[in-house]
Amino acid sequence: MTGKAEFFERIRAEVVRGRGAALGTTALRPGKARERLDVLRRELSERWRENLDRFGREFERVAGVLHRVGAADEVPGVVARIAAERGMRKVVAWPAATLGLDVVAPLAAQGLEAAAMPGADVDGRERERLRAVAAAADLGVTAADVAIAETGTLVLVSGAGRPRSTSLLPSCHVAVFDRDTLVESLLQMGLVLEAWHEGAEPSWRGAAINFITGPSRTADIELTLTRGVHGPKEVHAVFVEQGIRAHRA
Amino acid sequence: MEPELATPFRERAEHALGDRFLQEALTIATTKFITLRREAFAELPEGEALRDQARAIKEATLQRLDHWLERLVENVEGRGGRVHYATSADEARAIVLDIARRTGARLAVKSKSMATEEIHLNEALEAAGVTPVETDLGEYIIQLAHERPSHIIAPAIHKTKGQVAELFARELKRETVPDPEVLTRIARGELREKFLQADLGISGANFAVAETGTVVLVTNEGNGRMVTSLPRVHVAVMGVEKVIPSMTDLAVFLAILAKSATGQKLSVYTSLVNGPRRGGELEGPEEFHLVLLDNGRVRQIAGPLRESLNCLRCGACLNVCPVYRQIGGHAYGYTYPGPIGILLTAMLNGSESVKDLAHASSLCGACVDACPVRIDIPRMLIELRKDVSEGGIAPWSERLVFRAFAWLLRRPALYRLGARLGRLAQAPLARGGRIRRVPLFFGEWTRTRDLPAIAPRTFQERWAELEREARR
Repeated sequence: MTGKAEFFERIRAEVVRGRGAALGTTALRPGKARERLDVLRRELSERWRENLDRFGREFERVAGVLHRVGAADEVPGVVARIAAERGMRKVVAWPAATLGLDVVAPLAAQGLEAAAMPGADVDGRERERLRAVAAAADLGVTAADVAIAETGTLVLVSGAGRPRSTSLLPSCHVAVFDRDTLVESLLQMGLVLEAWHEGAEPSWRGAAINFITGPSRTADIELTLTRGVHGPKEVHAVFVEQGIRAHRA
Repeated sequence: MEPELATPFRERAEHALGDRFLQEALTIATTKFITLRREAFAELPEGEALRDQARAIKEATLQRLDHWLERLVENVEGRGGRVHYATSADEARAIVLDIARRTGARLAVKSKSMATEEIHLNEALEAAGVTPVETDLGEYIIQLAHERPSHIIAPAIHKTKGQVAELFARELKRETVPDPEVLTRIARGELREKFLQADLGISGANFAVAETGTVVLVTNEGNGRMVTSLPRVHVAVMGVEKVIPSMTDLAVFLAILAKSATGQKLSVYTSLVNGPRRGGELEGPEEFHLVLLDNGRVRQIAGPLRESLNCLRCGACLNVCPVYRQIGGHAYGYTYPGPIGILLTAMLNGSESVKDLAHASSLCGACVDACPVRIDIPRMLIELRKDVSEGGIAPWSERLVFRAFAWLLRRPALYRLGARLGRLAQAPLARGGRIRRVPLFFGEWTRTRDLPAIAPRTFQERWAELEREARR
């Protein structure tokens, strides 16, 4: 087996031999990414209406469905309606701390089988059980940490109280977001990613960041577009006008 | 050795040209991809500048590849991942098998990865008693059919829905109808079981971000998310050239990758994974392994194929290539088809392996225009041809003819005489200004192309005439 030292020695020798073959520059990385992001967010907060409209247009182009409500307590009603229209019964959701509201009690009151995922570490056996619950669910409710207007993309950071399976295993995914999560472009998202990785990482942070741009799709059989091959067949985004108070990345 | 190589390239190409369904499927698919790509970039005024920037980032990264890889290793290890070093395909397979053995894995789910195709990982896993299951729908179909991908991003482009229905009936014992919607639903059910049961998840990497130790996977189906989240062990196999410095660089690449590949603004899922499951998380592997693969890449850092290390594997050059559009991916005979595939094949297997393929290009340059990072593929193909001819790989008859021609070109009087004699000699062969068949062993050259006939009056004769007229 090749060892690390030997592997790198060959690469180093070739890099020296190839020096000057062509020139290039990497993207200019913003120093103090967090400070810059704060400045950007203040600017964006003045343009949130345009950005929400643009997000909505792009999200619908990728077959997402956008809902708008005034206050957070209207969200369970939207989820219940989506479930009822499709004859869905089982719901899993992020806990109130990361979602910004409790959906489980109001949904249960409407006769749905709703379960909240845990907000802290659980043992292996419990993880297995919860995974089975998520796999059996029809609908998963999460928050979104960022919504990218240019592409109609929802960005979800995994971690404590932010399971990845909620947005992946059920056939319908509903994500809740507000104006503070909106950015305009992928390049702005680059700054967000830099800021998230600046300095020590918070202890709640998980190992995955997922960009979700509409429902799962494939065109692998005769280029016929088909949705829901592995991930959700439907993705809904619920915009809360008055904002939500949740833990956010 | 690849199974398709039992027959020579010419026969493979002729076979493809005679396959009417393949011809139709290729035209429809490549035309659609071209249109979608064009529309996507038309909507992005800064697209051209982003392509230049992406190119510059790749070049700058190569200039200090050792440094960026070291940063990557440091950061992957810092987040609890393990890094392995594979100089050859053999070594890469051995590393993955060793991980499988040590963790007692029996079932592996795979997210579409050209790097694992390149090292023929599936055969090795099967031989070791681990069942590999391809989970990208197209890859799943061709795995069931025991075939190889025919396009980098649309591996089953050559199959009809009828063929897929028959395949599912035979291999999965599922009666079905030739309807993509129904077939996809069946595959979802079959593969969902596998995702939940698998012990090992195997993926490639579209990018790896050095400054954070993050592996980035781009998929449309969501299988990349499943493979990196559900099994207890995740192994990512990546070519060393996939490293990029920072998240800021990543944003530039994401802005052009999907547009070049499928014309989407962004693929449905972009997953950034950063080592094993962390405390508090419900999902994520207990072990994360990154296999850094050389397999011929490192010697090109200072080699003639250096530029092809910039390739993002988007497949855009396949769609626009007049040769790929006619013969499809299988005729190329190796893992990587199309114009860039010829260069990558030479990189992995040496120039000798592309002695025919180096000529499977019209050098029209459509690939350079389509390439998101503007790789000058024709330039390198010409160099490969030179290599092939200097290495004495071209047939002796062809070399003899070209040497004689070169000798003649340096002797104007003899050249003029030769042209006059040739005009007489070609009389029985030339039809409408073309020669379709040259006799004897020279016939090989005109099997698949026409030779322009020597004109009734050559350029030199007409030039002399014009000069005479001008003097008058």
